[in-house]
Amino acid sequence: MREKLSKKFGLLMVALVTAMVLAACSGGADEDGGDDTSEGDDAGITAWAWDPNFNIAALELALEHYDNEEFDMEIRENAQDDIVQRLNTGLSSGTMNGMPNIVLIEDQRAQSFLQSYPDAFYPIGDYFNTEDFAEYKIAPTSFDGEQYGLPFDTGVTGFFYRTDYLEEAGYTHDDLVDITWSEYVEIAKDVKEQTGQAMLSLDPNDLGILRVMMQTTGTWYTTEDGTIQLEGNEPLQMALENYKELLENDLVKLSSDWSQYLAAFNSGNVASVPAGNWIAPSVEAEESQAGLWRVAPIPRLDMEGAVNASNQGGSSFYVLNIDGKEKAAEFLGETFGSNVEFYQDLVQEVGALGTYIPASEGDAYQFENEFFNNQQVIHDFSQWMEEIPQVDYGMNTYGIEDILSAEIQQYLDGKSLEDVLSDAQAQAENQFK
Amino acid sequence: MSQASNPTQQRTFAQQIRKNYIGWLFIILSVLGISLFYFYPMVQALLLSLQSGMGSTLEYVGLDNYVRLFNDPTFITALTNTILYLLIQVPVMIVLALIFSVLLNDPTLKFKGFFRTAIFLPAVTSLVAYAVIFKYLFGNDGLVNDFLLSMNLISQPLNWLSDPFLAKITIIIAITWRWTGYNMIFYLSALQNVDKSMYEAAKIDGASAVQQFFFITIPLLKPIILFTSIVSTIGTLQLFDEVMNITSGGPGNATMTISMYIYNLSFEYTPDFGYAATVSYVILILVVILSFIQFKVAGDRD
Repeated sequence: MREKLSKKFGLLMVALVTAMVLAACSGGADEDGGDDTSEGDDAGITAWAWDPNFNIAALELALEHYDNEEFDMEIRENAQDDIVQRLNTGLSSGTMNGMPNIVLIEDQRAQSFLQSYPDAFYPIGDYFNTEDFAEYKIAPTSFDGEQYGLPFDTGVTGFFYRTDYLEEAGYTHDDLVDITWSEYVEIAKDVKEQTGQAMLSLDPNDLGILRVMMQTTGTWYTTEDGTIQLEGNEPLQMALENYKELLENDLVKLSSDWSQYLAAFNSGNVASVPAGNWIAPSVEAEESQAGLWRVAPIPRLDMEGAVNASNQGGSSFYVLNIDGKEKAAEFLGETFGSNVEFYQDLVQEVGALGTYIPASEGDAYQFENEFFNNQQVIHDFSQWMEEIPQVDYGMNTYGIEDILSAEIQQYLDGKSLEDVLSDAQAQAENQFK
Repeated sequence: MSQASNPTQQRTFAQQIRKNYIGWLFIILSVLGISLFYFYPMVQALLLSLQSGMGSTLEYVGLDNYVRLFNDPTFITALTNTILYLLIQVPVMIVLALIFSVLLNDPTLKFKGFFRTAIFLPAVTSLVAYAVIFKYLFGNDGLVNDFLLSMNLISQPLNWLSDPFLAKITIIIAITWRWTGYNMIFYLSALQNVDKSMYEAAKIDGASAVQQFFFITIPLLKPIILFTSIVSTIGTLQLFDEVMNITSGGPGNATMTISMYIYNLSFEYTPDFGYAATVSYVILILVVILSFIQFKVAGDRD
């Protein structure tokens, strides 16, 4: 009896083990063949994006404007960090299983994806006219002569300010138009003295403001051919000097995360917000401050060739090189790529500003915004957008910024600017060969 | 040897093989599972650590990644921070856990259950949730600053999260809060097994409470202390969630840990999975070395 039982048990075990091994093997085989399964053909299109009030809303609106009964798209909300993680893990494993057809990627990250995963993205340059889009969006969304991204969100920056605080400090709107960052610092000092308010809120972990300053001169951390240029990078140097001046004179309200950053201006504790146009809905969120805000062009660095226009954190749509790519590209081309009407609704319903130039002729762009003192903010933004100097973000914006942010701490502690930049240069070169 | 040819012996030998065979069947499942899900990825990671490149365009570079480690200031910062957390936080936490467990083991204490639960509770809260709450507590306008201001201990709010030194302290406070109760439970359960007569005998011999603590409790808990310190060491070497959610490694890498650096290398920067694998092997090597030292120092009897 015992013998029999143990024999049966043994058989059972063998069966289990075989099943397990087989399952493991077949799993592997499935993954390898994932690229060319036919199920993608009948299945609908999936799109990944972040921010339900902005990007997702824009996709949904585009779907409404798309005249194709057979087209079926599922929009999945993913936080931006999750998208970056999932794309990286998925694409590097070589399997395209579970990847979306359309994905939103931040411009500053785009090159790292396009270059790290050759063949993973589908060139969509034939589905729309690149010349219809703001020029500064083309370099980051293309690679090796092919257009991979459909430019979307502009990221055009503005100098949002509180009219009451600035008037109290003795400034009118005209005093704030087309100024330099050093003038901005001087104004900040007056505001502090007259009103006691800080000029802006800053998260020391986020160097976005330095990028905004730098881009007014068309410069970045790297040159177009990818060489790291921190040492001797005059715009960066000047941006850092302004940054230090702001911090040292106590003109900044420090925040340690996004909600504190928002709270700083919603609670009326700072006099201005120099940021991308996407901050406008957050400024408008505090209804009690309606009519108190206006937007001036972003200050420029005090250098030859600098303009009063810059960019902070725009993003674009990409199509993955998997089944359904043509459908996905057609959809993007006919909505975000060419539909003026869609852009009018986008501005009115979502408040999102695309980089499609023909759209700025429409009526929706002339809208006078009561919150901003009846200023035609959308129109102004679209004008500034066309002036944004093009820069090549290269591969390592975030990697370099981590090195730089550690060095900036030392700069604030008194290390000389030359040493800071040359040390950061050496470190970055060592790390991103 | 001659005995093996004995027929009765042979039968038992055959039986033994059969017995072993069944035993092996039991084990083989776990062996397969472990090989598939532990050893295979470990070997793959080792191979990966010898490669470098962007995303999927990897190529073998030999030991270059390991050489790069020593010239990488960010890695060295991350390593120093992690070791600093380890050196300060683990001893503090273990001492605290010991003290709490002895106090809560006092048979005359009332509401024991309540206190035990209260101290253990942090260990079952979600890592991310508590990290986010700590972030708000220690924010510029947070409760901690409010409290310190109202007590007149400070004249203006401290930049807990944006000052390099204070940010480290914040992280240490956070992980201590979270893990002390967890370790305390181990000590408490070990204390239940300590024979009460020992303390009675010590009391009769005139030993004070402090003496009892140092000469009875600690020696008896030694294996548990060893266990908790190894587990805490490993945990601290892998510290990620708190730093990610409270300070995101800032200001300027001041609170960056090795795990966070691995995350950044894989997902924040242009992905270099090869180098990220190299850095994770450093954690493995550190865990092995530190555990070995702890065994040597404390584990002589067991």
